[in-house]
Amino acid sequence: MDFTVSTIPGDVAVLRLSGKLNMVSASALRDAITSLLEAGQRRLVADLADVPFMDSSGLGALIAGLKSARQAGGDLRIASVGEQIRMVLQLTNMERVLTPYDRPEEAYSNG
Amino acid sequence: MVDPEPQVLALSSPPDDVNSVHALLEEVWAAHGDVPDLDRMAFETALIELASNVIGHADGGEGISCSLAVTVSEDRIEANLVDTGQPGNIVLSAVALPDDLAESGRGLPIIQALVDELSYSREDGLNRWHIARKRER
Repeated sequence: MDFTVSTIPGDVAVLRLSGKLNMVSASALRDAITSLLEAGQRRLVADLADVPFMDSSGLGALIAGLKSARQAGGDLRIASVGEQIRMVLQLTNMERVLTPYDRPEEAYSNG
Repeated sequence: MVDPEPQVLALSSPPDDVNSVHALLEEVWAAHGDVPDLDRMAFETALIELASNVIGHADGGEGISCSLAVTVSEDRIEANLVDTGQPGNIVLSAVALPDDLAESGRGLPIIQALVDELSYSREDGLNRWHIARKRER
């Protein structure tokens, strides 16, 4: 899995992931989120447009990132999810906790 | 004609991982272009959860070997997975989802939601797993 970080207006850090998010890549995602928080970023978005597949290990890494971000006084939101990720979020009742936004720019548009 | 022969994978972890299972499924879907997207997506999700469970939890320290066979027939897709891991302490009856902020414990509920058959048995020192999903009509 590859990562690209960019910032968008509103002091939002966008972590764009590329590849399958499974037990092989989950720890790299945790590390990437930890690095952003250590660098002082608080408003994080995981852009999942190039993630064709996510399993419960990947979901667990996002939840770990969400908890770390909240402990640091920030948040982690997700954007641009595909059909398979939406299915996993629905099956696990996690859409309320990790609400998918259509685009990274919309993740913090209401605060 | 649908090919009833299983497509098989022998996996040793480490160094193999679930990406080998994704690669096997790519070959399966390539050979069975008639399987609808929803079935592919659901079956792949269930099988990766199962394989992750086997690789992640069944390792007593020496690594594990698995053999996986995926069969696509006209009305169903099934996988049979045999592994050398520790005996599974498995409860297959309706498993509840964990708390919202739990970081694990969702694999089995996901599998149960996506397949029509899920079974586990321990025979001759091996774990035997079976999942099957009926194809969309």
